[in-house]
Amino acid sequence: MSSAEPSFQVIGRSQPRLDGPEKLRGSARYVADLHPAGLLHARLVLSPHAHARVRRIDTSGAVRAPGVVAVLTAADLEPTGLLAEGEVFYAGHPVAVVVAESEALAEDAAELVEVAYEPLPAVLDPEEAMRPGAPLVRELPEEHASQAMAAHGAAAGGARDEPRPRNASDVVRFRRGDVEAGFAQADAVIEATYRAAAVHQGHIETHGVVAEAAPDGSLTIWTSTQGSFDTRQGTAGTLGLEEHRIRVVPMTVGGAFGGKFLLLEPLAAAVARRLGRPVRLVLDRVQDFLVSRPSPAAVIHLKMGARRDGSLTALQARLVFDSGAEPGSPVGIAALLLGGTYRVANLDIAGYEVLTHKSPAGAYRGPGAPQAYFALESHMDRLARRLELDPLDFRLRNAVREGDPRPDGRPWPRLGLVECLERLRDHPLWKERPAGPDEGWGMAVGGWPGGLEPAAAGCRLDPDGTLTVQVGAVDITGSATSLAMIAAEVFGLAPDRVRVVNRDTDSSPFGGSAGGSKTVYTVGPAVQRAAEDARRQVLELAAERLEAAPEDLELRDGRVSVRGVPSRSVTLAELARLSTRFGSRYAPIHGHGRVAQRSSSPGFAVHLARVRVDRETGEVRVTGFLAVQDVGRAINPAEVAGQIRGGVAQGIGRTLLEQLVWDDAGQLLDANLADYRLPTGDDVPRIEAELVEVPAPDGPFGAKGVGEPPAIPVAAALANAVEAAVGVRLNEIPFRPEALLEAMKRAG
Amino acid sequence: MKPPRFAYAAPESLEEALELLKEHGSEAKVLAGGQSLMPMLNLRLLKPAILVDINRLPGRDRIDEAEGMLRVGLLVRHRQAERSPLVRQSLPLLAEAVRQIGHPQIRNRGTLCGSVAHADPAAELPAVLAALGGQVVLRSAGGRRVLPADQFFLGFLTTALEPEEVVEELRLPVAPPRTGAAFLEFSRRAGDFALVGVAAQLAFDAAGRIAAAGLALTGVGGTPFKAASAEALLRGQAPSARLFAEAAERVREEVDPEADIHASAEYRRHLAQVLTRRALEAAWRRAGLEAA
Repeated sequence: MSSAEPSFQVIGRSQPRLDGPEKLRGSARYVADLHPAGLLHARLVLSPHAHARVRRIDTSGAVRAPGVVAVLTAADLEPTGLLAEGEVFYAGHPVAVVVAESEALAEDAAELVEVAYEPLPAVLDPEEAMRPGAPLVRELPEEHASQAMAAHGAAAGGARDEPRPRNASDVVRFRRGDVEAGFAQADAVIEATYRAAAVHQGHIETHGVVAEAAPDGSLTIWTSTQGSFDTRQGTAGTLGLEEHRIRVVPMTVGGAFGGKFLLLEPLAAAVARRLGRPVRLVLDRVQDFLVSRPSPAAVIHLKMGARRDGSLTALQARLVFDSGAEPGSPVGIAALLLGGTYRVANLDIAGYEVLTHKSPAGAYRGPGAPQAYFALESHMDRLARRLELDPLDFRLRNAVREGDPRPDGRPWPRLGLVECLERLRDHPLWKERPAGPDEGWGMAVGGWPGGLEPAAAGCRLDPDGTLTVQVGAVDITGSATSLAMIAAEVFGLAPDRVRVVNRDTDSSPFGGSAGGSKTVYTVGPAVQRAAEDARRQVLELAAERLEAAPEDLELRDGRVSVRGVPSRSVTLAELARLSTRFGSRYAPIHGHGRVAQRSSSPGFAVHLARVRVDRETGEVRVTGFLAVQDVGRAINPAEVAGQIRGGVAQGIGRTLLEQLVWDDAGQLLDANLADYRLPTGDDVPRIEAELVEVPAPDGPFGAKGVGEPPAIPVAAALANAVEAAVGVRLNEIPFRPEALLEAMKRAG
Repeated sequence: MKPPRFAYAAPESLEEALELLKEHGSEAKVLAGGQSLMPMLNLRLLKPAILVDINRLPGRDRIDEAEGMLRVGLLVRHRQAERSPLVRQSLPLLAEAVRQIGHPQIRNRGTLCGSVAHADPAAELPAVLAALGGQVVLRSAGGRRVLPADQFFLGFLTTALEPEEVVEELRLPVAPPRTGAAFLEFSRRAGDFALVGVAAQLAFDAAGRIAAAGLALTGVGGTPFKAASAEALLRGQAPSARLFAEAAERVREEVDPEADIHASAEYRRHLAQVLTRRALEAAWRRAGLEAA
């Protein structure tokens, strides 16, 4: 697995995460650990109804409760839309906020807020919501591009001028060739409907924010977020402030996975401005389930045709994504990936984003992709089975290569799907596929187009001879360690001699949100350039001090020396001190790097899973897992493998265990971690990570994003393994043991 | 997620604790391991005026054996029972059941008497008590009473425990020689409350016939389900796969579980059958008499 090349000293050599010790020791500071002087605690009052008119909010009892400072409703805040205004659109919609001297007192008083609701008809099923005459979920806002989706690079093209069915907030259509003609050429045509449940991102740290307003109304916001600049922009836009009047301090993130984008910050900021004291709003687990933005449920109807020789002839699909009470689902990206993974001449894909009276949907690790690939890769296995083709060869034959058109007509940049398939084909586990009774193996592909966002970085040499690398991207995955390794490689330093800091939006260079598998890909090159710039400055300064030409110098182990004359040398620390003291004639060492790549780095993965089925209970257990993934270049192989294992674990959770369940009245029934089943160590087998390296032309040392792909193919791999084990297939995730029993019974 | 305001007392003796319960009645809640009580407080499902913390009571964490009964004291933690050689030796069914309660963190704090007092319909111990015909010793300032399991568990989270009483002790008959037992449960995820669990114990006579059968299920109703007619069917019979299948079929017919978000009633019924058969087979196997 080691990808170390002789020419690299740091890149490709596994290195412990720099943030590991503080997290293991419990000394990392999270939002909830902050207690600025004068801190007030806010507690949300949530709607118990999926859809209702708010007739009256009586705050008088709550206001009189001990320790209460204020009870605020929409009209009390500027702007007014931060809380429900007259109507609630999902159970969990915040209608009021109670602010008190302690968290417990705020919670006590929140129970005393009396809201008179007039329940209205609720629409909970997206397919029902699309029928003519269904109640209107809400008037559609004019502009509804999702920031989170854009941050994930999940904004897909495609025609959007299609007629919208009722309650559809977005329609995306991709067409190519003639699907009817394509189906006519096929030797096998298979049609099926797949369903994926809504799931929560499962971040263990709930959403939380502390906001403080200065007397002039400018704000400091400490928050658990994936994007500090995104949060600043969103809060500024909502509150009508110029960006520079808001300082966002990104805190240690205790899990995000797409869920930690702008949510509570504008509300907390508005409350802090109104009250003139710092305000802490940290959701408890139940409220986090109700208020945060889950991954949407999806229904995908898919029809595909193929010839006996293994070539695909047509793909037709209809996707319905349940976006909850606000637009912003990833239906476009799901449609793009569904039609963009294999070469197929005839395509017709229609994707619908539909509003319902449920918590608004958001992003979760490869938004839209797990749903799309569950359908696509289940279908590919079916076709292979029907045509008696080897499932891997069948995929290999049709897999997209660099330059092939995506459904939106744009060509794929370099990608490693074929290389991943070939690696699996040659892997002993694929060749042998050892299985005990009631066990079976399944494979599946998954991919992610990769996001882009400009980034800048600074690289400062400090008097102790270490580097301080300044970035504006949040570290949610250990990316800071990789960025440190990039700078360390440039300088020939050990990675622990580099600090990567992202203090706040006032002092950091711009960086995009940590999403879309793009932090190392986009910020990495900026860091690399900044380090190279600083290195150049170091060599210039050293050349002057050593009276040698810069090209005759070498930088190694924190020391610059004249090549071949090791006695003529100067340390980095000496150079830093020289350039940072009173009266010095040398400018300080401070490198800059900035970059705006044009080409994304698609990340593809191929998974091979073994399951064991209990034929009497319908239980499915995962007993073996191999994840092959093209990572461009593994900067820190241990970290990459760790991310792959985490992604697979989340995929297993989504496939076997997790599901947000709403009742007929729109109440979320499993808004806690006892009923909502995140996978535990017992549910996840040993996962073997196999790294393929097809360098990304624009990536730092060839690296590409690795975060999202490993969560994507899992469901289909497990569905295919179940069919291999017991001869029946499940078209709905999570798999229910009951459903598998039923299917086995029907199959006899 | 903060509990509502409550008063707190930490008595140093059982007598003192019982006086507090007498004084406060249904306004008081007893805090032992807190593994059910604390979440219920934090979710504000309960709002007691006072918590009586009994964790400081001395000498109440004993497991011993007397007159053919295993006695489990007021403050015995699950983990302690799980690790007890005495429990493993004299009542393997209890040892196996306790191992399946929650996670190690829960077992380190939770108490057996507390679990029985809470009477969650998916909990393991009520089924063990029901299967074995165990007894629950209730203690108040006014005295002590001993109830058999079927008179103690009354309904969903409802028992015969009076507000001024604590569960002072559990009494479970020690397994006779030539016995095999199994506690099997099914949950979607390890450590979760079982969808269905089965406690089975089979004692065999010298001829290898079933001398006594204890069989009860959890997760199929508000109280543990004592499978009396299946027990009767088994008693006196020579063990066989067919017999166990028949007993399991009878259990399937007689249980009346409810549906929830985790499983339908029909699926629970099906699990009751599968797990009963498997538990009886395992109990037979573990008795080591198959050759006979």
